[in-house]
Amino acid sequence: METFAQSLVSGVLTGALYAMIGIGLTVVFGVMRIINLAHGEMVMLGMFGAFWSQKLWKLDPFVSILVWAPLMFVAGMLLYRLLLRKIIPGGELNTLLYTAGLSLLIANLALFAWTGDYRTISLSYGITPFRPLGIAIAVPLAVAFVLAILITVTLWLFLSRTDLGRAIRATSQNPEASVLMGIDVERVAMVTFGLGTALAGAAGVLLAPSLYLYPTVGELLIVKCFVIVVLGGLGSVPGAIAGGILLGVVESLGAVYVSGTYKDGIGFVLFLAVLLYRPSGLFGAGR
Amino acid sequence: MTRRLLPALLGVAVLVAIPLSIRNSFFLHVCILILMWTVLGAAWNVLGGFAGQVSFGHAALFAVGAYTTIILYLKGGLAPWWGIPLGGLAAALVSVPIGLLCFRLRGPYFALATLAVAEIVKLVALNWESVTAGSVGYLITTLPPVRLFGLEVNWEGKPPFFAAAAVLAVVALLTTGWLRNSRLGAYLVAIRENEDAAEAVGIDTVRAKVVTLALSAFLAGMGGGFYAFYFRYVDPDAVAGIGLSMEMVFIAVVGGLGTVGGPLIGAVFLTAVAELVRDRFQMGHLIFYGLFMMLVIRFMPEGIWGRVRRLTPGARTGG
Amino acid sequence: MRKLVSSVLATIGVLVSTSALAQPIKIGAPQPMTGPDAPFGDKFKKAYTMAREEINAAGGVNGRKLEILIEDHQAKNQLAATVAEKLITEEKVLVMTGGRGSGQAIEIASVCQRLKTPYLVDHPSADMITSKGFEWVFRNNPTGSIYPMAFSDFITNYPGAMPKSAAVVYDNTLFGKTIGGAVIKILKAKNVSVVADEAYPVNTLDFKPTMTKVKATNPDVVLLVAVATTDAILLTRHAKEMGLTPRAFVGFGGGFGVADFASQLGPLAENVFSSAAWSGNPNDPKTKAFYEKFHAKYAIWPHEHEVEGYSAIYILADALKRAKLTGDLDADREAIRKALLATDMTTVFGKVKFGNWTGPLGDAYTNQNVYSPGQSVMAQWKGGQLLNVWPKAFAETALVFPEPVKK
Repeated sequence: METFAQSLVSGVLTGALYAMIGIGLTVVFGVMRIINLAHGEMVMLGMFGAFWSQKLWKLDPFVSILVWAPLMFVAGMLLYRLLLRKIIPGGELNTLLYTAGLSLLIANLALFAWTGDYRTISLSYGITPFRPLGIAIAVPLAVAFVLAILITVTLWLFLSRTDLGRAIRATSQNPEASVLMGIDVERVAMVTFGLGTALAGAAGVLLAPSLYLYPTVGELLIVKCFVIVVLGGLGSVPGAIAGGILLGVVESLGAVYVSGTYKDGIGFVLFLAVLLYRPSGLFGAGR
Repeated sequence: MTRRLLPALLGVAVLVAIPLSIRNSFFLHVCILILMWTVLGAAWNVLGGFAGQVSFGHAALFAVGAYTTIILYLKGGLAPWWGIPLGGLAAALVSVPIGLLCFRLRGPYFALATLAVAEIVKLVALNWESVTAGSVGYLITTLPPVRLFGLEVNWEGKPPFFAAAAVLAVVALLTTGWLRNSRLGAYLVAIRENEDAAEAVGIDTVRAKVVTLALSAFLAGMGGGFYAFYFRYVDPDAVAGIGLSMEMVFIAVVGGLGTVGGPLIGAVFLTAVAELVRDRFQMGHLIFYGLFMMLVIRFMPEGIWGRVRRLTPGARTGG
Repeated sequence: MRKLVSSVLATIGVLVSTSALAQPIKIGAPQPMTGPDAPFGDKFKKAYTMAREEINAAGGVNGRKLEILIEDHQAKNQLAATVAEKLITEEKVLVMTGGRGSGQAIEIASVCQRLKTPYLVDHPSADMITSKGFEWVFRNNPTGSIYPMAFSDFITNYPGAMPKSAAVVYDNTLFGKTIGGAVIKILKAKNVSVVADEAYPVNTLDFKPTMTKVKATNPDVVLLVAVATTDAILLTRHAKEMGLTPRAFVGFGGGFGVADFASQLGPLAENVFSSAAWSGNPNDPKTKAFYEKFHAKYAIWPHEHEVEGYSAIYILADALKRAKLTGDLDADREAIRKALLATDMTTVFGKVKFGNWTGPLGDAYTNQNVYSPGQSVMAQWKGGQLLNVWPKAFAETALVFPEPVKK
């Protein structure tokens, strides 16, 4: 029973971080209908941001999110303006391949700049976990969990309470009608891409203290990310949250009750099954 | 007709002349790599270029071919010239259920599904130890003695491998050429341009796509089989990695999607870039792959070959 | 007339061969210089450079300088075969070394065997490399299945160390499976019950579930195998976070022996054992002197990789000295192979002599260092330093066992 409770808790905690990565991807997909294959690299950049903040400026990695999230937001908007805008009209396959190229480029530039060394962030308060009810919870993971919830709530408020947020949701639901309603789709797309990038960066910052980082870590994350957004339904934010937590729990319980090496396989099988039988996601929220 | 026959004859002449005239074994090795990548690029191009179905999981088909060939040889003593086509056949067989499943999805969804399939295949290769030898992998230490036209085939030299790779590349390009002019090819273009419309005019799109995937898998599987014999060592990381899938995409895109000669151009380009970058700059060639892929999609979405063809007046129907 | 021609030809032959002999002797070394394994390629480059400079400064090999050509294989098998081919046929190196990853080393070995060029493996540990009967391939370092030998010796001979039960957690790579398998075999032979036998995929993000499961079996010792440093760090961190308190944690694999392990884990690293190929006998004054020299030159302390790379060049130099080089590539390579077969020397890594024998898992080795079984040690992390503790003859400090129970 303790084993079950423990793996359930760590599954939920890890799952919340997975969800953070998924939300960024799904928001971009919702508005622009593109799957950004370079999303994992953006998470990686966030991780390195947290790492260098601590290394160079002695900044707590979690505090550094205040620097990196806005910076990634601007970077994302620029990326859209300068590179992606011309590509998207060429069709979704071209965009997919283009972001695949971008992903290769970013990961390998990072590899060149920072070498393939794996790094970890050690926090003075991160060493001993606290144990409510005998269940061990690592401090950095708990902090990240709380921040992830905060960020998600803020995002939700932004999407539901502000004009720009509503415009994003409207475009996501019906692009043609949005244009007719006088929404500046171009601007919405730019902001959305910035938002997606910022979310990826923020997720990276939150993940970094619980994980290790190296330039090609994005490859590992993007695959999980696909699983998450497909489980939840592409384009759906609540879906991505549910998908992330579901994947975290499934992996965690799978590692305990199924052989460890097949653990990753469970995720993919689930992924394929959902893609095939419920393409709108397990919760029917996406399209 | 002559316009098409001439370059083909020229190509065959070059292929015959290279191993006869050049003794430099490293140069031949590079040529063999180019031919192997041509086969793989063409395999991807059949599906991705003609039918517009982007697959990020072609390494899975390559792996099936490589494993089938090497296992048949090591466990059953089956010679390469049987093993390689059988490897292709095995990949084609495996591709049918994959196709029937994944083709229920379109566009990016299909791409994601193939990615998942490839990851599952890699996990199987890693864990099904009784068949695949898991992470230990298979190593060929000796190849069978063979006499051809009264001469002992020297497996330590390059010419036999060059010949095999050349045959495979010719088969791959001929297949692509045939496909382009066939009824199936026309269906595929219709599917690529507008799948709903294609269905509306009565094309059985799923069937067309499954057949095309099988064709593509056959070529990729033979490429895998050739890899097994030439590099002589097969393990999950080397033959089923996502990097391999991406390189196939890269060749086809850079060379020119949906063209016959594209994969050859892409393969020459890829191999040359990789060698040059490694030699001169001491940095990962993938930086340049990524950059070229972006530039090509931005500035010549029809690929190098497609661009060249467009610039040659009157050649629009050829190539 | 005929006599004249033949004597002229003979003179030309002598001239050609003497000019060939005046040129440096080329050694080829494929290493990952870019890509994910680049940090390791750099370690070997430093080690090779230092050995080469020393040998050349001391007059080279029979008056000829050594030249080491490092080619980047980016940790890709296919590229490893390509650069090996290039070094042998284009650069015409006399002998090969390097490799770093086992997959790449297998490709290099296969190419060297085919092109009849001697290859001295300096680090890759897969048993397969020297168990396929490749007579052109030699290996100085211990094979993977030998890594746990020191551990085996420890539980047998240290009073009270024989565990009542053990949990074995290993990655599903070639390295992890080989060592995990060898460890389980050793334990079973000694009637220790293996209460958990867990494999995991490399670069796992979260070991907490696995460790929860392991904890439930209440193992007496926990044995962790990791080829990747990241996995080594997370395995240990998550095991301790989940509150595992065995009598000892024993790590197998490079990750448990690198400085990162201690710097990232801090106090969590304390008293963790590492059973691995050694980095030479630290009590040997010559090895110690090498550590100091290396540190003085590069400001880093050499470990396994550097010691192996440095020793490999000395082994090759020794063989090259004894081989009669004529300038004819094929004959020279054969002469070097013969010379390597007769190698019997001591490097900073330890004694070396190549022979054919059977490994602990029944592999029939060809040209594997016969002293390998003695070249595995148990070390323990103490105050951020990894110090050899077992076997006693190579110990740098006293060991702490069992792990003291906290509070």
